[in-house]
Amino acid sequence: MNFKYFIKYLSYGFFAGAIALSPVTVIGQVKNPGLLVHAADDEPTTLDPAQVEPGEGGETIILQVYDRLLDIGPASAALIPSLAVEIPSLSNGGISGDGLTYTFKLRSGVTFHDGTSLTADDVKYSWDRAMEMNLPEGNAGALSDVIASTEIIDDLTFRVNLSEPSASFLNSTVVSMVASVVSQDAVEANGGVKAETPNRFMAGNMVGTGPYKFVVWNRNENLQLEVNESYWGDNAKLDVRIEIGGDPDVRVLGLRAGEFDTIETDPSFIADLEGADGVTIYTGGLLLEPLHIGFNLNIPKGSLPDGDTISEDFFHDPRIRQAFNHAFDYQAFLNGPLAGYGAFNPHYTPIGIFGHDADAPVYSEKNYAEAERLFREAGVWDEGFAVSVITEEGNLFALMCLVLKDSIERLNPNFRINVLAVAESVFDDAHAQNPLEYAMWAKNADPAADPNFYMQAYQHPDGEWGEVHGFANGYRDAAKVGELIDSAATELDPAKRSAIYRELQTILYDDPMWLIGAQEGVVMAHRDWLKGFAMQPLWPRPSLKFSFFDK
Amino acid sequence: MQLRDYIIRRLMVLPILILGVSIVVFTLTRVGGSPIGIYLSHEMTPEEVLKIEERFGLDKPVLVQYIQWLKGIVSGDFGWSGVASAPVAEVFPIKLAATLELATAAGLVALFLGITLGTFAGARRNRFPDHLTRIVAVSGASLPQFWFGILLLIIFWAQLGIAPIGRSDATIFASISHPTGLYTIDAILAGSIRALWDAIWHLILPALTLGYGATAIIARMMRSALVEELQQDYVDAARAKGLAEKLVIKRHARRNALVPTITVIGLTFGFLLQGTITIEIIYRWPGIGRWMADSVLRGDQATLMTYVLFTSVLFLLVNLIVDVIYANLDRRVTLGK
Amino acid sequence: MTNPPQSSNITITKDSAFSVKINRFLALLQRLLSNPTTVIGLIIIGLMLSMAIFAPWITTANIPDPYQMPRDWGAVRKPPGEMGYLLGTTNEGGDVFYGIVWGSRTSLQLSIYVVGSTMIIGTIIGSIAGLLGGWVDEVLMRIVDVFLSIPELIFALAIAAVLGPSFTNIIIALSLVIWVKYARIMRAQVLQIKQNDFVDAARIVGDSKFNIYIKDILPNAVTPVTVQATLDMGNVVLIGATLSFIGLSEAGIAEWGVLVSEGQAGIASGRWWASTFPGLMIFLWALAFNLLGDGLRDALDPRLEDR
Repeated sequence: MNFKYFIKYLSYGFFAGAIALSPVTVIGQVKNPGLLVHAADDEPTTLDPAQVEPGEGGETIILQVYDRLLDIGPASAALIPSLAVEIPSLSNGGISGDGLTYTFKLRSGVTFHDGTSLTADDVKYSWDRAMEMNLPEGNAGALSDVIASTEIIDDLTFRVNLSEPSASFLNSTVVSMVASVVSQDAVEANGGVKAETPNRFMAGNMVGTGPYKFVVWNRNENLQLEVNESYWGDNAKLDVRIEIGGDPDVRVLGLRAGEFDTIETDPSFIADLEGADGVTIYTGGLLLEPLHIGFNLNIPKGSLPDGDTISEDFFHDPRIRQAFNHAFDYQAFLNGPLAGYGAFNPHYTPIGIFGHDADAPVYSEKNYAEAERLFREAGVWDEGFAVSVITEEGNLFALMCLVLKDSIERLNPNFRINVLAVAESVFDDAHAQNPLEYAMWAKNADPAADPNFYMQAYQHPDGEWGEVHGFANGYRDAAKVGELIDSAATELDPAKRSAIYRELQTILYDDPMWLIGAQEGVVMAHRDWLKGFAMQPLWPRPSLKFSFFDK
Repeated sequence: MQLRDYIIRRLMVLPILILGVSIVVFTLTRVGGSPIGIYLSHEMTPEEVLKIEERFGLDKPVLVQYIQWLKGIVSGDFGWSGVASAPVAEVFPIKLAATLELATAAGLVALFLGITLGTFAGARRNRFPDHLTRIVAVSGASLPQFWFGILLLIIFWAQLGIAPIGRSDATIFASISHPTGLYTIDAILAGSIRALWDAIWHLILPALTLGYGATAIIARMMRSALVEELQQDYVDAARAKGLAEKLVIKRHARRNALVPTITVIGLTFGFLLQGTITIEIIYRWPGIGRWMADSVLRGDQATLMTYVLFTSVLFLLVNLIVDVIYANLDRRVTLGK
Repeated sequence: MTNPPQSSNITITKDSAFSVKINRFLALLQRLLSNPTTVIGLIIIGLMLSMAIFAPWITTANIPDPYQMPRDWGAVRKPPGEMGYLLGTTNEGGDVFYGIVWGSRTSLQLSIYVVGSTMIIGTIIGSIAGLLGGWVDEVLMRIVDVFLSIPELIFALAIAAVLGPSFTNIIIALSLVIWVKYARIMRAQVLQIKQNDFVDAARIVGDSKFNIYIKDILPNAVTPVTVQATLDMGNVVLIGATLSFIGLSEAGIAEWGVLVSEGQAGIASGRWWASTFPGLMIFLWALAFNLLGDGLRDALDPRLEDR
């Protein structure tokens, strides 16, 4: 008997204590003052600029802790000076007449987080090191593809010699995370530079010049940054703790409870946040990573999964590719999985990138009549077909494939789409094979700041995917497409460059090499008490610079 | 003498079993799936893939890889975790401590609830309370842990706001040092009531959820053991002497019934070990269970292999200890009687 | 064929042996049904079975593949009752009610395939080990021990992870993990009976080892195997659902575990229906078989009979 009473009162005590000591939100009162808590949806793989892959979680940490010579400002795509005091141009002599030499004047008095001073040595070291390590998972190619050599003129002057003129050097290469400036002293004291080998110290530690200092990374839990009091520019106001992992709805709840100040979430949760107390939803833009499904025109004989009935040259016929593009239910995809947040872009210039033509023809509506006509013309209507599409499971790509499946199968019951939703690692492995053993796969494009990267990677017949997918087998005029893309890459006159991209977008509509589901909308939510909130899609996801925020 | 021989025999078989497990788990990761996948970035070329293969030794023949792996284990190198972006050996102890804390708390819950329920049911065999208790206990074993946990989370976290998720409040956690890695112990060592409360408060819901699941195992055993005890001669004798029923049960029968209940400790331990996987996912507990689930989904075979090997060894050891204890007790009991 | 003994008092005919068996069976049934919790379990199982059998009549089968959830992208995340969806819709506009009904079929398939195949495989291997003895027994039992060293869920998780996310692979993974239990049981039965006297008697009479096996060993093994199989029918669906929850099953199919997994992203925002109903079904299924299994064990265990 005594025991039972004991238990009863003990549990009362626990709950009373829980309520008393739990951080219940008082409406209006700012939680965690002085600290910004951001709930992220993915975790960095590495914190080393020479190792980080474009588009993965480590890039945003690098953005906060390291600086580059130039940066993109929060308000527009225009460049702003950072470690370089002015933007090199033809008029100020920063760019040589032949467009091959760029000279940067560095800011004086800048110190690294360990107290040492920044000199041109560090800049050259940072760039050279990335190129020498040449890590397969990193982005060294962005530098080594265009740079012939780097030089030090004096302590505060750094010079780069390109191998050929490039329209995207400043606005893309110089501002990319791989071009971040690290402390030579710190690296040399911790493993130095070894070709083809990652540096363990740099992968888990950071010594930079940026507004934030790295504190600790508790794997799968959180990552903490603190304000750099001796920053050369405007100081950050809040320390940062990035919460890692956890389900999307846990993040939503945490935001509503005030535990998190900003969260990354996906469009399907906006409905739960609308009208919530103290929460502001920001939907001011589009991600620069269009969601797409690829057509393989280079399928090795007999390699397709069991169940596929198509021939290896199925996608050589532009009518088939066009028919797929017409059959996809874009509105269903936009309104369902994307909850209305997104837009449709032409092949292949995303909205928000230079060169995007708002008047270009775009696939944005399901058109069964046109799709049927094209399938009939191509001769596959009566017989039908079955084809697989491989994708990562459990995310937007899988949903896009399900929409494709439903769209195609409802058009004609003889059509079958098998969705092979596999684990990410399996997908990455399959995706890296050349030639590819699948007819279709779904993913999103890598983000970039310049249209040339998209065109080279995703449309050029000799480009990365052009080669793997065999675009040359399918384009009506492959040579012309290649020529246009190449000339736009080196064309330094913005007006002429625009015109070339305009022409490309029209040609590619009739000769699509992809099915572009949509360009995903940016969806972020934050607490009302957060001031200074600004997003710039050209910054690595989540496109935020925490140094601007205050509570 | 027999007991010592038994122990020695079991101990000798142990390394063979562990080796067997290592072969099974290694073969699994090489035969299916894609051991390299996790180290790849998106959009890598085949040449780049080759470089990564060389870095992790995945270009060598399978047998050589197996030997390398074993050699690595002996020298404390369990591979590189793609999920944690750090050596497995570095991250494992930290997360293990978190899981151990949770499992122990849950085990205490299961022990308490199981023995209570089992005694209650066993003493009232085949009457209504027995059936009701049986349903309650069996429910614990039938519940999809993940679903039950989510339900509790909605009620106590989302709606009532009196339960937290995760293991700790980051600020309080950072305010004390962590010599053992067990939050409760470290809080006591640091003399911080605030941290101790933080630790316990975060433990309640996950421990209850996990513990309830294991309750059925103990309750079932306790009940049938008690029933059997109550049929013994000495119980009749005690009743004839006029001792109160409750006293008979409490003092003698239950204590004796606890003996066979020891045999299910191994089973309970196995249940708790497996249950931590889903419970940690739901409550965002930073233990090895959640890490394992991530590794499974993302193909982090270094973590996977280490985890399976570790849990199997633990499982084997616990079962061995339990068997030895029981054999020892059994011998004494048979000798005594 | 030997002649029966001359004495007319002792006539052992096939008929009365059979009727003894019937009587024992009826007594078992009575003991079973006298336990209310077992009855509850049987009722639930009956309801589930009917749902599975009559699925195409309860809801129209989805074309072309009835085991794919019917998706209406225009009606995503609807609560129960809205737009004619009895139990609401999922994140992809899937009909939760459809998922519940057809999910019973997939659960039935899952448990029958796994339990059926493991029973057969386990029985064969366990019997071989027990009958042949010697090094065959040693090797087989070491393999069984190794498999038993790895906790069930973790082992199934590892296998399913490397095979890839698909329903078939979950069946394979679970089968590979569970067969060892039956092997153990069978072997123990064989060994136990090998030692019994009446086996010696049968040998004297001249029955072949195989006959002994069929006539004496197997029938006696039925008891523990049946109890294990019943419990496993429930357990398999539970573990399978856990594997689905972690993300190892096919997307978009009408299976309870997959539904809970897909439906749980939204619970914290108040969308409880997509995961609660399928979760409830998994619970009831496992509960029913657990209760039945417990009841069977009690009814078949001579020790627990009243003195």
